[in-house]
Amino acid sequence: MAVPAFSLIYREYLRWIRAPTWVISGLMSPILYLLLFGQAFDLGRLIPPGTPANVLSNALSGAPNYFSYFAVGMVAFASVTAAMFSGAGIIFDKQLGILQRILSTPISRRAVFLSELTFRGMLTLIPAFLVVGFALLLAHVPGVAGLTVSSTVSVLGAAQFLAAAIVLSVAFTALFLSFGFAVQRVESYFGVVTILQLPILLTSNAMYPVSIMPAWLQYLVGFNPISLAVNVMRMSLFGTHGYAYPAGIYLLGLLAWAGLFVTLALVLASRALRSDVSPKGSALSQAIAE
Amino acid sequence: MVYPPAKPGGKGTVAVAGVTFQVRRGEIFGFLGPNGAGKTTTISILTTLLVATSGRATIEGVDVQADPEGVRRRLGLVFQRSTADEELTGRENMLIEAGFYGLSRGEIGNHVSDLLEQMDLSSAADKFVKSYSGGMRRRLELAVGMVHRPRLVFLDEPTLGLDPQGRAGFWRYIRSLRETKGLTVFMTTHYLDEADQLCDRIAVIDHGRIVASGTPSELKDGVGGDTLVVSTAAGAGDLTPLLRSLPGVTSVASNGATYRVKCSNGESLVPKTVIAAERAGIDIVGVTVLKPTLDEVFLHLTGHAYREEGDAPSTSPSHATDPGIVSRGK
Ligand SMILES: Nc1ncnc2c1ncn2[C@@H]1O[C@H](COP(=O)(O)OP(=O)(O)OP(=O)(O)O)[C@@H](O)[C@H]1O
Ligand SMILES: [Mg+2]
Repeated sequence: MAVPAFSLIYREYLRWIRAPTWVISGLMSPILYLLLFGQAFDLGRLIPPGTPANVLSNALSGAPNYFSYFAVGMVAFASVTAAMFSGAGIIFDKQLGILQRILSTPISRRAVFLSELTFRGMLTLIPAFLVVGFALLLAHVPGVAGLTVSSTVSVLGAAQFLAAAIVLSVAFTALFLSFGFAVQRVESYFGVVTILQLPILLTSNAMYPVSIMPAWLQYLVGFNPISLAVNVMRMSLFGTHGYAYPAGIYLLGLLAWAGLFVTLALVLASRALRSDVSPKGSALSQAIAE
Repeated sequence: MVYPPAKPGGKGTVAVAGVTFQVRRGEIFGFLGPNGAGKTTTISILTTLLVATSGRATIEGVDVQADPEGVRRRLGLVFQRSTADEELTGRENMLIEAGFYGLSRGEIGNHVSDLLEQMDLSSAADKFVKSYSGGMRRRLELAVGMVHRPRLVFLDEPTLGLDPQGRAGFWRYIRSLRETKGLTVFMTTHYLDEADQLCDRIAVIDHGRIVASGTPSELKDGVGGDTLVVSTAAGAGDLTPLLRSLPGVTSVASNGATYRVKCSNGESLVPKTVIAAERAGIDIVGVTVLKPTLDEVFLHLTGHAYREEGDAPSTSPSHATDPGIVSRGK
């Protein structure tokens, strides 16, 4: 017996391994940010000599330097950027009739959604971990800033880091999958993604310390799922000093976002995959019409 | 089946209304009709891809709306449009499709190779589908639709774009499965000679309604039997009264020296015509018997320019005892 969902994942895997454009599209921005922005925008240099050392360290919530602080933000950014491509494949499958063929087989609609979420979610973790490795490597290159881990990382800390990365990737993969299920055209999909990309990133603490932001922005940033994930990751690498809540609370907040996005995606996916013709027309009936 | 309007406030499209038929197990059932008649819509309803706005259909006793998954497990489907994944090879497409039915490579691998061989795709089996020609894609589509060894297949214009060898090969395969495994086939095609040779029974659909059904020969008899074309020498006398008096003749139309005689049995009328004309002293230059084709039936039933007054569409539900597919549609 073969499990039908594995067959779907196998198909996605074969397609992915043969056209690994993600290497360029998913990694390009984070790597450029690490190599250029992170090197140039060193907040530490702006601090006049003679300032007590803990001023910077406090602003960076315990990170040894700005680059290390920023690199962790880029880990989250890399996975969110990769997730932005998650929904495009479904639109092509709809247009090419492949989804219809899949739906004429006994595989359950839920398995179609879950295998997509699992596979795409795992893919978004790859750039995240490559960014970690790359940033750590930079620390050993003379003349450039790199990621330095300041506290000893416990097993629990590593597990927290991993959990934050996974939940973040599930949340954003589900969000972008739901757009993929909802829209019929790739143009509309990337339209939505482009509109969302910068607001999601810039209302987070991925790139700059919260303490230097105006109060209204701080408020927004506090709720951003990227911030929640980055808080947990930074706590596990640089220590918990200066955070209002323990890591578990941030993780719970992140889980709430993931729950919301997965629910949204489930609703939109089951609408797109059902067979009746609603007044707006399901994706399926539109595919048959083509 | 009513499709919703494209724009809010617009009118919906009634695609299929009043389609009632039964297909027996082991039967090859042809579903013919002009473009836009509702063939693909009917197949989509029977294969659970669309839920009909009203009406009922069962497949091997399973209701398509009550148990769509049960229905999906039972059937194979070849879409009118190509649905293979271009980025994968032919074999991969088939193995993945088999996986959707819970069949592993170990269980189905040999069958996949056999099917590829049957469809003359062995040498292309491990090439990417994007490198296939149109006919190769179509043959792969057929192979994918049959990969899980269904007992019932829906074929929506299966041989569209296939060369004569490809078509003959596919039908040979379908026929052998019917003989050995009792395969039931529900097919649409615009190649009417194909339908004539293959189908046990045919239903003709037009504007979403079944306008005729029966065996190919029943349908052909329905258009009034054979046509005898009689040519006389120039200046010969009028044959019309004489032809009208012959047994089995239903109508005679003439255009100068050529007569078109509708009759029930063309061959037996040939000697009678020749003898009668000889007696009357009218010189005959040639006689041809035209057998009715499904094309004529089709045009007669659905070609609106050909439709005559009083040609009411008739539906004749069959009296099957072992129904494979039953559809009572609106
Ligand atoms: N998704 C849809 N939305 C609205 N109308 C549709 C849709 N799909 C089909 N139709 C309409 O329903 C009618 C029947 O279409 P269908 O595709 O069933 O025809 P068909 O008999 O398969 O034709 P062909 O021989 O061209 O394949 C047509 O009038 C078509 O325009
Ligand atoms: Mg069609």
